[in-house]
Amino acid sequence: MAARVLRGLCWARPALLPARTPRGILHRAAAGAAPSSEFRSQYALDRLYPEQKRSDAEEGTQDGTKQTSPDIPVDRLSISYCRSSGPGGQNVNKVNSKAEVRFHLASADWIAEDVRQKIAVMHKNKINKSGELILNSEVSRYQMKNLADCLEKIRNMIKEATQKSSVVSKENSQLLIARVQKMNRERLRQKKINSTIKQSRRVDFD
Amino acid sequence: MAAASRGGGGGPKALELLRALPRVSLVNLRPNPGAKKSERRRGRGRHGGKKSGRGHKGQRQRGNRPRLGFEGGQTPFYLIIPKYGYNEGHSHRRQYHPLSLQKLQYLIDLGRVDPTQPIDLTQLTNARGVTIQPLKRDYGVQLVEKGADNFSAKVNIEVQMASELAIAAIEKNGGVITTGFYDPRSLEILCKPIPFFLRGQPIPKRMLPPEDLVRYYTDAKNRGYLANPSNIPEARLELAKKYGYVLPDISKDELFQMLSTRKDPRQIFFGLAPGWVVNMSEKKILKPTDERLLRYYSS
Repeated sequence: MAARVLRGLCWARPALLPARTPRGILHRAAAGAAPSSEFRSQYALDRLYPEQKRSDAEEGTQDGTKQTSPDIPVDRLSISYCRSSGPGGQNVNKVNSKAEVRFHLASADWIAEDVRQKIAVMHKNKINKSGELILNSEVSRYQMKNLADCLEKIRNMIKEATQKSSVVSKENSQLLIARVQKMNRERLRQKKINSTIKQSRRVDFD
Repeated sequence: MAAASRGGGGGPKALELLRALPRVSLVNLRPNPGAKKSERRRGRGRHGGKKSGRGHKGQRQRGNRPRLGFEGGQTPFYLIIPKYGYNEGHSHRRQYHPLSLQKLQYLIDLGRVDPTQPIDLTQLTNARGVTIQPLKRDYGVQLVEKGADNFSAKVNIEVQMASELAIAAIEKNGGVITTGFYDPRSLEILCKPIPFFLRGQPIPKRMLPPEDLVRYYTDAKNRGYLANPSNIPEARLELAKKYGYVLPDISKDELFQMLSTRKDPRQIFFGLAPGWVVNMSEKKILKPTDERLLRYYSS
């Protein structure tokens, strides 16, 4: 079954060694640089995924741009680790797992200007006197996971600040008001009907 | 006995001694003091006797106690608790022995595992870092996060399963991690290569994973050995972004050749192909020449 699935990924090729295309340095470190003396079966990676010809220059710029402009430049943030709170005995007392991330918000040019101001307003409780935005996390017992959590929080803050509130057009706003009024009217009508039903069940003391 | 303890000067001297000494028989033989401890026999004397360890009267002394689990008539524990299939099918479940990054670091620091060579289950078993029992439904080793914060070793490691944080910790230090599947027969051969070579059988080809594992091993996120190699750099970048570290460039490394060595999906050992017979005593490797065999082993 696995064989069928994997064969679907590549054609049935004859058992000849295909001509190996020269691979650039930026090519996959994970793929083996297999010399021809090494064993290659039908399920070798070259045969499962025949290489698509791509110019090395293109690859270079792609990878380069991804590296040089990541979404959060970690070297611009100051990260520190300290001991977490909560139960845990000796382990929680000794192991530094709480991650704290700070960065100066006003000089963070990797965030857009208006987004920065919006964050300064929305999260003013997290900004200290010298203008640094402080975030901490002690969710898990691993420093790396807590750091990842802090970065995720930063990304969420930026996302919230980038969202533009939707402006309701005039017609729509009138419609909304009319809808609310209609709902209330209907609710009161149903309430009166229920009231009459209950009254009709009453037996007067006679 | 005296002659034996002296160790004997050689052939003729020992023979002379033997002629002089009396013959060894039951009369002259005695065990070492403390080697034989006589057992405590019931019903004989002060410590085994009187009530002979049976207590005083009642069912205990008279040997009439009810069966194990009986609680005097109350519905016993083993009947009152409802049945639920916790262990149902346990012998069909795959088990993966956990290997923490802390243990891996410990093995590397002590020199039991060589980080300058690709690390495989064989290396881990030889270093006695893990003990795998293929007959107990073990399907290999899984890499676990404990010790991820202090892990600082650059390795090319191949395990059977790995969690995301473990992958991130290894790649952060400039290493390479791959997950590969071994069917039970290949696993047994991988963990105990020498008894296998002594059998004289040709190395079999590693079987492909079962249906439910194909998805796992063709995913670049798990660094599966059957995943598309062009998806792996993206997955590495994604992890680097998520965990906030700079991804080191392996190609600039001096050990790049070693870090990029990988096994073929049908290969069990590095450097040995399926179909070869390894002769340990004569230190020779026999390779098949028949065309049909070659076609079979490379399929």
